This record gives sequence, C-alpha cells and structure tokens, in this order.
Amino acid sequence: MNRTLEHILPRVQKPARYTGGEYNAVVKDRRKVDVRYALCFPDTYEIGMSNLGMRILYGVMNEMEGVWCERVFAPWGDMEEEMRREGILLYGLESGDSIADFDLIGFSLGYEMAYTNVLNMLDLAGLSLRSEERDSLTPIVVAGGTCAYNPEPLAPIVDLFVLGEGEEVSQEIIHLYRKAREECWSKEEFLAAAAQIGGVYVPSLYEVSYQADGTLAEVIPQEGAPAIVTKRIVQDFDKSYFPVKTIIPSTEIVHDRVMLEVFRGCIRGCRFCQAGYAYRPVRSRSPETLLRQGIEACKDSGYQEMTLSSLSTSDYRPLEHLCDGLLEWCEPNKVSLSLPSLRADNFSLGLMERVQHVRKSGLTFAPEAGTQRLRDAINKNVTEEDLLRSCRTAFSGGWSSVKLYFMLGLPTETDEDVLGIADLAEKVYKAWKEVTPNPKRGVNITVSTAWFVPKPHTAFQWEPQITMEEYLRRVKLLREHMRGRSIRYNWHDSQTSFLEAVLARGDRRVADVIETAWRDGAKFDAWSEYFDFDRWMAAFESCGVDPAFYANRSREKDERFPWDVTSVGVSKAFLWRERERAYEAVITPDCRVQCTGCGANKLHVGGKCDA
Amino acid sequence: MHRLAFSKADTAKFISHLDLMRTFQRAFLRAGIAIKHTEGFNPHAFVSIPLPLSVGFSSSCEVLECQVLNTPLEEVPQRMNAALPAGITVQRCYDGGRPVKELAYVNYIVTLEYETGAPFGAESAIQNLLSRPALVVEKRSKKAKSGKVEVDLIPLIARATVEEGRDTIAMDLVLKAQNPGLNPELLLTAIRANCPDAAPDYASIHRRAVLNPQFQPWA
Repeated sequence: MNRTLEHILPRVQKPARYTGGEYNAVVKDRRKVDVRYALCFPDTYEIGMSNLGMRILYGVMNEMEGVWCERVFAPWGDMEEEMRREGILLYGLESGDSIADFDLIGFSLGYEMAYTNVLNMLDLAGLSLRSEERDSLTPIVVAGGTCAYNPEPLAPIVDLFVLGEGEEVSQEIIHLYRKAREECWSKEEFLAAAAQIGGVYVPSLYEVSYQADGTLAEVIPQEGAPAIVTKRIVQDFDKSYFPVKTIIPSTEIVHDRVMLEVFRGCIRGCRFCQAGYAYRPVRSRSPETLLRQGIEACKDSGYQEMTLSSLSTSDYRPLEHLCDGLLEWCEPNKVSLSLPSLRADNFSLGLMERVQHVRKSGLTFAPEAGTQRLRDAINKNVTEEDLLRSCRTAFSGGWSSVKLYFMLGLPTETDEDVLGIADLAEKVYKAWKEVTPNPKRGVNITVSTAWFVPKPHTAFQWEPQITMEEYLRRVKLLREHMRGRSIRYNWHDSQTSFLEAVLARGDRRVADVIETAWRDGAKFDAWSEYFDFDRWMAAFESCGVDPAFYANRSREKDERFPWDVTSVGVSKAFLWRERERAYEAVITPDCRVQCTGCGANKLHVGGKCDA
Repeated sequence: MHRLAFSKADTAKFISHLDLMRTFQRAFLRAGIAIKHTEGFNPHAFVSIPLPLSVGFSSSCEVLECQVLNTPLEEVPQRMNAALPAGITVQRCYDGGRPVKELAYVNYIVTLEYETGAPFGAESAIQNLLSRPALVVEKRSKKAKSGKVEVDLIPLIARATVEEGRDTIAMDLVLKAQNPGLNPELLLTAIRANCPDAAPDYASIHRRAVLNPQFQPWA
C-alpha cells in the first residue's frame, strides 16, 4: 500500500472504500498487461459498487488477455481534501496507480446530477477537462450509460461515447486502441476510426450550428462519421456475460446482495420512462440459466440475499417457475429472495407467499398518477382496482407497510389529478381497514411524489417541465388534502429536479455551465450535503445560458433535438404518435398484446422481438 | 467453542469491526464451512471477536470465536484464506482456549514517524511523560453526561519502552486489555497535549500479542 495513502486514510470516513483488496478484486501483473482501463463511476464507492453494469464491464474487460480494468469512484469530500493536500492523484483501486497514465478512462453515466463529478474526477486525476486540451492518444476518455443517450452536455469533455450495452463494443474499442498504438496513430486518427464502430459517437467529429431562436440548426458529421449513431445491444442475452464471480466489498454498500438480471428491455411503454424506451427490445434469460447463475453467485459470494433485477420483474413470463427453482435452493441455504419492480396489476398471491417465506419487508407500488385519466395519458396501464386488489392481497397476508410513488407535473395534469393522489391513498387505507388480520398494529402508507422530468427518447421529450412555482403549488395542494395519521407524504426537492430537467435535454452550450459550476465548487450534486442551487443559477447567468429554455420550453414537432444524433432504435415518429395519444388519454397496449411498431425490433438480427 | 487466530494487515487494516464480522460470516459460506447460528426468527451466524481492533491498526494476534460444525479444524485456515479478502490471514483454528476474562494485557508496537527525523529530546520527553505518577487525559464517553471523562493512563500501562530510530520513535507497550482497557490512541493524545514537540507526523499502531495476567501469551 502507498505510504502517503496509509497516512491519510485514518483521517477520513469509511476508509475501506479507498483501499481495494476486496475478495475477487482482479489483480494482474503490471508487466504482463498492455492495456490499462480505469472504469470510473462518478459517485461514491457504495453506490458505484451497487451498479450491475460496472460489474459486468469489469468482468468482461478483465477476461481479455493483456487488459487490466480497475475501478475508480469519486472520493467523498474529506478524502478529496486529503488527496489534494498530499498530492495524491486519483488512482485505480486494484493497483493504486494513478489513472492519468492509463490507456482508457471510462465513465458510467447513470444520472445527470453526477456530471460535475466526472469533471472533478478528471481534475483529481491531473487531466485537462476538455477533450481538445488532451492531445495525445493516451488516455482516451470514454463515457457510456443511460445519460449517453443525450451526450451533448458532456460533448466537449468526453472523447467518445458508447451508446447502449457495452459488453461487445468495449472490447472492440480496446482492439482498435491497441492497433492505433502499435501503428502510432494520432488521437484524431484513432477517434475517426473509432467513429466507424457501431454505437460509438465521437462528439468532436460533429459540427453543430444554432438558429436565431437558440434551437439546433445543423449537425454535420465530419470524416465519414455516421449522421446518426445507433445504440448497441447484446444479441444473445441468454449467453451473454454475467458476473457470477464478482467483487464482494469488505464494507457495506447500497445493494449488498446477489443481483440476478432476468431480462433487458420492457414491454410496457410508459410514456415518461426513458429506460422503458431506451433498453428495448426485450431479451430474456432462460430460467435454467438464471437458476444456475443465481446459485453459483450465492456460493461464490457468501451473500444471503438475492434479488431479481429488471425493469418490471412480474413481466418475466416464467417468473413463478424461476422463483420455485430458486427457493428450492435458497430456503435450505437460508438465502432470502426479494422481488422488486413488481407491477400492481399482476401482483399475485402465489408470488407474495413465495417471497414472504423469508422476510416481510415493505411493499412498494408506483401508480405514478392519481386518476385513471392521467394514468391512461402516461400509459401506465394500472387501474385503481388493480392497485387496491394488490394492496388487499398484501394486507390480508399480514403486510402493514406500503409505499406509493407518484409524479407531479406530468403532461395534461390538472388539480383533479393531483387530488386523486390523496383519494387513492385514502382508499388504500380503507382497504387495509377492511382486510387486515391485525388492526391494532396499524398501517404505514407512505406517499412520495417526484417532480416529473421530461427525458430524451421518450414520448414526452417535446414537453415543458412545469415551472417551479407551479410544482410547489401542487405539492402544497396535495399536502393540504392528505388526511389521516397513517399516511405520510414526502415530496422530492424541486431544485434538483429542475436542474436535472436542464441537463437531461441540454446541448453543447450547457457544458460551459457545468464547467463553471464545477469551478465554483459543484460536485456530488445528487447529495443534499453538497448541492447548491444558487451556485448553479450563478453559473447559468455567467455563461449567458437560460435554464428555462431547456427545462420549461414546449418544443415543436419537427425541432431537431441535440440527442437526435443518437438513436435507441425507437423512431421519433413512434414517439410523436405516443405523445398525441397521451393528449387523447388513449392507452397503447403492451408489446405482448400487440406490436406497437416502435422500431427497436430492427436492432435484433432478423428483426425479431422477444416481448 | 472454537477459535480462529488471524492477522489483519495492509488494506485490511481499514475494515471496521462490524464490517469484519460480516466479512467473516460471508467467508465461512464461501469456504463451505458451516458454523453454528443463533436460534430464533432471523438466525445469524454466531461469531464474536473478543477484543475489537480500532480501524487503521494492524495486528498479528486477532481471535475470532465461533463453532465450526462440519470441517476438520486443521482444514479451516487454508479454506478460509482462499475465501477472505487481501490482508486477512487465518493462522490456525483450535478448540477451547483460555477464557476471555483472562485476556489481561495487549502488547502494542506504536511507531511514531517524523518527516524530518525525530526531534531532539523527543524520546526523553516521552520517557518522562510515561514515568509521571499520573497522566490524566480527557476521553470521549457515551455514558457521561458531558460526553467526556477524565482517565489516568499510568495505572493502565503495565510496561513501556521507548526507543529512537532514524526517523522514528518506537514504543513497545503493554497495556491493560479490558475493564478498563487502554487504547494506545489515548497515549498519542497525551503526547500531543503534553509534549507537542514530540508529536509525530504520523503514527502506526500494531497489535503484537495478547497476554494473560502473568504476561504469557493468551490463546
């Protein structure tokens, strides 16, 4: 261990986050590897280590001969202070080596509020922030993840973006990088060649111009780069890499359990949901594969908790069959199984009894909106009766804690819809009173509302976010109508949601704002300890950028969006059609009832969709 | 009851006591070694570490108590070492041993490091400090109303030798282990407060041995 590091660690909180050395951490011989990859997560260790994508890419790259992939997380403020004072550069957890000398530095971008941490980590590594200021082939700064579907706010920072699933394309980039180094290519030559790899977007190869009203005019690709970069998917998900053997942290992390990924994509088509569109088409793993992987992962990790992960677990066709198989092994081995992401419409008693076996935690449902009209408008095909039936099932099974998630500010929302949330909570309370076997124990109903943030590549990408004053008015309205001691109401902070709305649909001009805010001290913006709204507003002001232009503006049908240079496989025409149906409050049936023709099936060789 | 003698070094120094317990429970499962669980609604592995080590200390004499059910004891070290994170090494696994109440003293090696060499007179200043009839320091306390109590360290120090090296001063200490015990951090606090010129830039603390009332190794 580095001596300086050893000296500073006793002074920081939770030092085990900064040491590496965990079980299954991959340590290779420096002399026997020729490519060093820093896999960075722009948030704390506890959050980054809970990310399944990180574990998959870590495993995939470390299986490659001659490649050593290491993990890097954002140090918390106290550690950052010590590192800067002692002159310790950001290092890979496995080797302790400074990542400035690595060949590739890849960031996983899961949420917009982590953008300033990307800048901060580059700075902590001793690197220049802007792509154009880093002129050598080494290191190449890569970014992927959900936020890469609108890469523009970080376009001047990142050398290349990877769109979609990274299992294959990460390897292709490494192969090309090796070739570039052997043949002494310049960074520009490498990037021009990388732009020819499917799913790779090289922002420096696109010339962007704006119209007088501030909207995009033209985006002109250079050097043969594709006009639209389409995301990559893993074709055979059943056979694709799953990290059965994975790092087991020596300190507690957020999701400290075996995560079994049952399928990718979603059949539902909720109109606000970016993941629901961006992860299409649906591809599943067979129950046999999952059973094998789940048992092996438990044995190798020593975890006594397993969870099934997907966007909507109850839509996995052989779910009961899978649960039976898993429980047959889990019960005698004292491993508890949890099933998040269950939908209120097909939540079954059988399923509940299965998960109840081990431990009875709270239940969470996300009706998203308070009235049927609005739920239809957002295509959340859950009825009030579905929800109440599921709650009754749970309450009569002995559950006494339910969380209900909603959004405020959805397109077409009226005060009636807002008050519908209070009504629904009240009905859930009455349902509990009717069926509970132990009325004396009481019930906890927690209602949480988030402020709707319109996201790229969704049916609501054209929509304005309502103003902050209006959002706060609706919160107040709802708060005044929440009755009963058993019902708790939480609402999401307005300032972060507003900034998220700006960053989510930002263009390249927003990059200056991000950099200005960071220079003024912004980092860990997803953490209330650090987030400072005034700092951000000052940054917008000094850059001459109007945040309302991005957050609160209603877009024209044919406006060219900053993220139109990327494609998730779902056509813009389909999304517009979905938007029109939203305004008519007409639902679109899920992909199993009928193919909706979104276009994502074309990503599959042969054009088949496994919904 | 069985005992595992293990050491904790390098990166593992920074694993906290609670995390270490969790790490061991998982390592037993990974190694396929069944251990006795508590009975009741939520059974959990029955493991305990009699004398928790502070975060950042290294040790070559840690002990974990548990009940191994299905494995020959001589196989335990090798199987556990394959399942534990870097820096934790099980040396042996044995049956019985002396009761925890006989664990009377701990031998610590405290190395005081000075970036520009040990200051002149630091060694004797520390010597003098330790030979005072009483050395009272303030200690945080959860029980006391003020959140602080005053402790006299001298009765808790059984033996102490101080030796000067090139850039370091090494203290070889035998301190009371429990009821009450003395954490060597408190001695460092006393040095910083009473002889600031001898205050080190950094101190590393190593637990070398645990001893019985007769100063013989406790196991």
